[in-house]
Amino acid sequence: MSQQAVIPTEEADAVGAAQTKAPGILRAIASRPLALAAAIVLLLIVVAVVLAPVIAPFGPNDAIPRNAFQGPQPGHWLGFDTAGRDVLSRLLHGGQNTLGGAVIALLVALAIGVPSGLLAGYYGGWFDSASNWVTNFVMSLPAMIVLLASRAVLGPTVWVLMVVLGFLVAPSFFRLVRGAVAAVRNELYVDAARVAGLPDWRIIGRHVLTVVRAPVIIQIALVAGIAIGLQAGLEFIGIGSGNIPTWGAMLNEAFTSFNRAPLLLVWPGLALGLTSAALVLLAAGIRDALDDRGAEVRGQTARERRDLVDERRRERGGTPADGRGALLSIRGLRVAYRQPSGPDVEVVHGVDLDVEPGQIVGLVGESGSGKSQTAFSVLGIIPEGGYIAGGSVLIKGAELVDAGRARAAAGRRALGYVPQEPMSNLDPSFTIGAQLTEPLRFGRRMSRAQARARILELLAAVEIADPERVFASYPHEISGGMAQRVLIAGALSTDPELIIADEPTTALDVTVQAEVLGILRRLRDERGVGVLIVTHNLGVVADLCDRVAVMSDGRVVERGDVSQVLTAPAEDYTKRLIGAVPDETIVRAPWREPALSGKENS
Amino acid sequence: MKKRILGTIAAGVAAALLLTGCAGGDEAAPAHDDTLRIGTMSVPTSLDPIDAIGGTMPFFQAVYDTLILRAPDGSYEPMLATEWAYDDTQTELWLTLRDDVAFDDGTAFDADAAKANLDRFRDGGGPNAAYLAGAEVAVLDATHLTITLPEADPGLLFYLTDSAGLMANPARFATEDALVTTPDGTGPYVLDTSATAIGTTWAYDRRDGYWGDDPDFSTLTISVFDNENAIVNGLKTGQLDSALLQTADQQLAAEQDPALTLQDVLFDFQGVLLFDRGGYVTPALADPRVRQALNFAVDRETMLSVVRDGRGEVTSQVWGVDTQGYDAALDDHYAYDPERAAALLAEAGLADGFELTLPRLTSIVTDNIATALQTDLAAVGITLTWADVDAGTALKQIFVDREFSGMVMNMGQSSSDWIAYSTLIAPGTFNFFGTSDETVQRIAGEVRALPEDQTADLYRELNAHIVEDAWFLPFYRMTYKLVTVPGIDVVTQAGQAETSIYNYSLAD
Amino acid sequence: MLAFLARRLGASVVLLFVTSFVTFMLLSLANQDVGRQLLGINASPEAVAAKNASLGLDRPLLVQYADWLVRAAQGDFGRSWFSSEYVTVAIGNRLPVTLSLVIGVTVLTAVVGYLLGVWAGVRRGGIDRFVQVFSVAGYALPGFLVTIVIVIVFAVQLRWFPAIGYIPITQSVGGWLSTITLPVIALSISAIAGIAQQVRSSVIEVARADYIRTLATRGLPRRLILFRHVLRNASAPALTVLGMQFVGLLGGAVIVEQIFGLPGIGAMTIQYTTRGDVPVIMGLVMLSAVGVVIINLLVDLGIGWLLPKARIS
Repeated sequence: MSQQAVIPTEEADAVGAAQTKAPGILRAIASRPLALAAAIVLLLIVVAVVLAPVIAPFGPNDAIPRNAFQGPQPGHWLGFDTAGRDVLSRLLHGGQNTLGGAVIALLVALAIGVPSGLLAGYYGGWFDSASNWVTNFVMSLPAMIVLLASRAVLGPTVWVLMVVLGFLVAPSFFRLVRGAVAAVRNELYVDAARVAGLPDWRIIGRHVLTVVRAPVIIQIALVAGIAIGLQAGLEFIGIGSGNIPTWGAMLNEAFTSFNRAPLLLVWPGLALGLTSAALVLLAAGIRDALDDRGAEVRGQTARERRDLVDERRRERGGTPADGRGALLSIRGLRVAYRQPSGPDVEVVHGVDLDVEPGQIVGLVGESGSGKSQTAFSVLGIIPEGGYIAGGSVLIKGAELVDAGRARAAAGRRALGYVPQEPMSNLDPSFTIGAQLTEPLRFGRRMSRAQARARILELLAAVEIADPERVFASYPHEISGGMAQRVLIAGALSTDPELIIADEPTTALDVTVQAEVLGILRRLRDERGVGVLIVTHNLGVVADLCDRVAVMSDGRVVERGDVSQVLTAPAEDYTKRLIGAVPDETIVRAPWREPALSGKENS
Repeated sequence: MKKRILGTIAAGVAAALLLTGCAGGDEAAPAHDDTLRIGTMSVPTSLDPIDAIGGTMPFFQAVYDTLILRAPDGSYEPMLATEWAYDDTQTELWLTLRDDVAFDDGTAFDADAAKANLDRFRDGGGPNAAYLAGAEVAVLDATHLTITLPEADPGLLFYLTDSAGLMANPARFATEDALVTTPDGTGPYVLDTSATAIGTTWAYDRRDGYWGDDPDFSTLTISVFDNENAIVNGLKTGQLDSALLQTADQQLAAEQDPALTLQDVLFDFQGVLLFDRGGYVTPALADPRVRQALNFAVDRETMLSVVRDGRGEVTSQVWGVDTQGYDAALDDHYAYDPERAAALLAEAGLADGFELTLPRLTSIVTDNIATALQTDLAAVGITLTWADVDAGTALKQIFVDREFSGMVMNMGQSSSDWIAYSTLIAPGTFNFFGTSDETVQRIAGEVRALPEDQTADLYRELNAHIVEDAWFLPFYRMTYKLVTVPGIDVVTQAGQAETSIYNYSLAD
Repeated sequence: MLAFLARRLGASVVLLFVTSFVTFMLLSLANQDVGRQLLGINASPEAVAAKNASLGLDRPLLVQYADWLVRAAQGDFGRSWFSSEYVTVAIGNRLPVTLSLVIGVTVLTAVVGYLLGVWAGVRRGGIDRFVQVFSVAGYALPGFLVTIVIVIVFAVQLRWFPAIGYIPITQSVGGWLSTITLPVIALSISAIAGIAQQVRSSVIEVARADYIRTLATRGLPRRLILFRHVLRNASAPALTVLGMQFVGLLGGAVIVEQIFGLPGIGAMTIQYTTRGDVPVIMGLVMLSAVGVVIINLLVDLGIGWLLPKARIS
C-alpha cells in the first residue's frame, strides 16, 4: 500500500536525529528558555491539579447558591460561578478530571499504538498489512459519530469519551512508531544485535524503542493538547460530563452566562489555553532540540556586521599582493561560527593557499582540520552560523571577500563544486536532466534543446554509458558511482576553471574511485581545469595531485610539491600523517579464483 | 517579495470587503418589508397534521386552518367551524362548518373532509392521538357534524384549536407520507418547497384567494436553530424579525439592543414532577408531609435569582395565570422555611432524612439548578443524587422503565384548566403510577359534566388540594421574552409559548 | 498507475463495507427507542411498538443491516426516521454548506499558512517568532471562544458580515461569500497555525540539505532555488497535514456551524446521532468514509508528484 512507501519526513528525520547522538531530552528542554518555561508552567499546573484535594479551599461541588455570580473576594479569589461554587476550587478539581481524561486517552492510544507499531515495523509481513488496514479503517471513521454513539452505548461520562478518543488517536501513534521502526529495521546495529544472538524482544525493547522514544514523546504532548481541547469542544455542544467538573464544563457553563458574567470565561479559558500552549511549546522545544533544528543561533546585528567588514578590510590592506596564485589565492583566511551563547568559535586560523591554472592541488588533513571549511568559504556555502572572519580570497585576481553579492557571484562563476556524498547532493524530486540543465537555462539563457545537448555531452564526457537514460532518470534510480559522475558533470556544466572537490571519492567503491580520479585528471589534461581536492586520503593525493597543503587544527602546517612533501616531509605532523598510512606489506597470498563445482553457488 | 505579498493580501481583503458590502447591504435591510422571518428552536418532524404537537403549531398554522381559532387571550373564535355547542351531557359536540372553503385542487372542505381528518388523527398513532381517543365523528350534512365522546372531555374544544383541529386535504390521504413534506391545507400560506430546506428553514408564500383575512406578510419563513445565541445575533443584525427567548442570558443580550422590543410570556413553569406519590420507587414520598417538607426546603427566591436572573415568578402551584383555578395567594404557599421542613420530616419519622435520586437531563437541569436543589435538600437532611441520563434513552428510562421518582421539567401551563388536570394529575403519561385520591376523583367527575363557565370554583378547589397535598414541587414560572424588531407588531398568545402566526402584523 | 488505482478501489470498497457494518452495529447497540422519541411520551406502548415495527426495528440486526446494504448499494439510503426526508436529499442539501467551509478553509490555510511558513522558514528572525507565537496561540485558544469573539466584533458590532445563515452560491455569489467569510476565518486560524508551523520546519530542514547547498554553487539565484527546489521538497508533509485537516473538517465544523447557524453536516451529525436516526447516520458515515478515501488518494497522488521516490511504479 502506498502508505508504506511514504515515510513522512518528520519520522525519518526524527529517526536520523535520534541516531546522531542528540542531547538527552531533559537537557534539551533545560537549554531552551521557551521550552523550559513551558515545562515549568506545565509542571506547576500538574502539581496544582494533583494536589487539588489538599490545596483547594473548597470541594468542587460545595455551593452556596446565594453567592452565585459574585466576583472575586477574600477567601474566594476567583469568585463564584453560576451555581455559587468557588471557581478556584473547581478549577483545581476540574483540572484533575480534564488532565486525567487526557492521560486516559493517551494511555489507551499508547497501549494500542506503540506495541503494534513496534511489531508491525519490526516484523513486517501479515501483521504489518493487517495493522495498516485497521489504521486506515479507524482513520476513516467519522470521529463525532463514533463518540456520540459510544456515549449512548457506554454511558455519558467523560471517561468513556476519553477512552474512545484514545482508540481513535491510536493510529497516529501506530503510524509514527511503525515508520520509525521500519526505517531502522535494517540498520547495521540491529543486524549486529541479531547476529550477536539477542532475542527479538530485547532488540525491540532496547535498541529500537530508544529510536522511537523522542517522536513519541513529541506526539504525546501534541495529542494531550488535542484531547484537552476536544473535551472542551464537546462540552460546548452539550456532550458532556454531567456532574464531573472539568475545564470544558466550566467553559461551557461560563458561555451560557456570557452576558451575565463575562469574567467567568476567563479562568477556565486561561487554564485551557496555558496548558495547551505549554504542551505545544514543550513539544516544539523537544523536537527542535533533537533535530538541532532552529537551534537559536544568534543573528548578526547590523553593527557587528559593520565592524566585521571594517576589520576584514583593514586586515586585507596589510596583505602583500605578490606571489599570489593566478587561479585561486587565499591569504590569512579565518572562518568562525556564532554560538547560541558565548563568544564565536574560530575553526580556521589563517590559511594561505594557491592554485595555478591547470594545477591539481590537494588539501589534506584529518577530520576537523578545517579543510572543508576552507573549501566552503571559497565556494560561498559556509553552513548557517558561520562566516569569514578575515582574510583574502582571490579568484582569477578578483577579491571575493566583501565584494558585494553580485561581484562575488560573478567571481564564483569560475568555480565548480563536486561534493562528497553523491546521493544526498541530488534533488530527489527532479530528474537528473532537469537539475543539470537548470543553471544553463536560467544562468546562461540557453534554450531547452541547447541545454539538453550540452548536458548529454557532459554526461558522456564523465564516462556515463547511456547518457539519455540517466538524463531522464531520478536520483534514486541510479547508482552511487553514476551519481558522483553526474555531480562532476553538474560541476562542469558552468564551464568552471577551478573545480573544488570535497572528498569526492570517500563514499565510492575502490574501482569507481579510480575512475572518478581518472576523470578529474582528464579534465585537467584536456580542458586545463584546475582542481582543488580536499581529502584525507594520502593515496589520492599521491595519485592525482601536483601540490599538496597539509592542514591541522585550522592551520596549514606544510605545503609544497607532492613528490617532495610525501617523500620528504618537513613537519612532524606531516611525518606522523604519512607514517599512519598502512603499508603495502602483503599479509596473505594473492586471491585466486576458486574452482567451480558442478552445483549452483548460493 | 514582502511588499508584493502584503499588497496582494491587502487587495484580497479589500475585494472581499467590497463584495460583502454589496451583499451585506441586502442582509441588513429592516423588516418593514412584507417578509416575516421567525427564528425558533422547535423543529417539526413532519408537516402531516397527525404528527403535530403544540410546540410546533406555527409551522402548521401557516398551511392548515383549524376548526376553531384560539384568540390571543385564550378564548375561542370561529375558523373553519362557525358555531359549536355541547349537548346537556357534555359528551356530544355539534359543529357547523363554513361552506365556502376549498383546497387547492378543488376538493371542497366539508363535513366529510372534517370527519376524514378527525378519524385519521385519532387512528394515526401520532403523539397527540390520545386527544381524540374514543371519539366518534358523525356527518349530518355538508356543513354539520357531531363528535361523540365516551365520556365528557372539557379539553375537546381546546384540542380542536390545536393539533387535532388541523384540516388537511383528504385527497392526499391515500398516498402514504404525502403530507409529510408537501402539506396541502386551506391556510393563509402555501409551503414554498423550493425555498424550504427541511431541518433548517421553512418558507411560505401568501396564498391567493384565502377565504379569511390576508396576513400582512407575503412571505413567511421560520428558521430553526439549535442555540439561542445565534437567534439573538440574527435579531440584532436584522436577519430575523421575531423569536421567543427562553434563557435568561440571551434575554439579557437582547435587552442590550435598544432597537428590539421584548414582551413577557409566562407559559412554562419549572419544578419537580413527583410521579412517585405512591412511594413505589422512594417509599418516603408516599407521605404528604415528606412532599410538603420538600416544598418548604427549597429556597425559590434564590433559585429564581440565580438560575433565571429573577426573570419569573415564584410559585407553589402548577395552575397557570390564565386559568380559572389559579389563585395568586397559592404562589407563596410554600415560602422558604427549612425548619418547618425538618419538623415535617421528623413528624413523618424521617428525622435522619432519606435518599432521593432524580434523573439529570443536561438540557433542562443546568448546574445551578442541580446544585441549588442538592444544597437546599441537604440542609434538611435529604440526600439528592443526580443520575446522568443520555438524551436518547431518557424517555424510556423515565416513563417506560420508571426508574425514577420524579424529574425536573419545564412544563407548559395551558390556559385550559381541564388540560392542566388531564396532563399532570389524571392518570396518564405524567402520572404513570396512576396515583390519585378521592378529592381529585370527585372534582374531576363533577367538572367533566359541567359547562366551562361553571367550573371556576371547582378548579380552584382542586388546585388548592393539589398544592396542600404537595403533589408537585414547583419552583417558579419562567418569564420568556417574545422579541420583535422595529416595524413588526405582535401579541402574545395565552397558554402558548411561541405566539400564533396570526398574531403578527406590520406596524403602521 | 491503473493497477494502483484498481487496488485502491478494491481496498476502498472493503473499507466502506467494514465501516458501515461496524457503525451499524454500534448504533444498534445504542438502542435509543426511536419509536418513543418519535411519538413522544403521550403515546401508548402499543403505538410505540407499532412505530418501531414500521421502521423495521423488530427484525434481527443482521437482517436490518443486510437490507440497508442492499439498498445502499443501489443508491437508496432510505428516509430519515425523524424528518422523513430522503437521506440523500437531506445530506445533499447540507453538503454544499460544509463543502463551502471545508474548501474555503483548505484554500485559505494552504495559501496563508504556506506563505507564512515559507516566510518564517526563509527569513527567520522576527517573522519566524511571530509564526511560532501565532502557532501556539492557534492551538491554545479554545476554538469556540475565538469564534464567538469574531461574531461579536465583526458581525454584531461592525455589521461587516451577517451573523447567521447561509446563502447558496447559486443564489448569490456575493451573499455566499459574505456568509462563509467569518466561519472560514474562524476555522482557519488554528489550521493556518498548524500548516505554517509544519511548512516552516520543513523549509528549514530542506534548506539545510546537501543538494540545496550544491545547487547554490552552480550560480542559480537564491529565489529560484527556494521556489523550485526547497518548496517542492518541503511540501510533502504539509500536504499530508492539509489532507488530514480536510478530513477532520468534513466531519463537520460543529461548533462554528452552531454559532453561525449554518445548516451543515456538523450540526446534522450531532442532531441526528443523539436521536439515533440510523438511516441518516449511515448516510453520513458513508459520506465520511468516501471523503476519506478520496482525500487519501489525492494526497498520495500529490505526494507522488512531489516526491518521485515515493511513487508507485
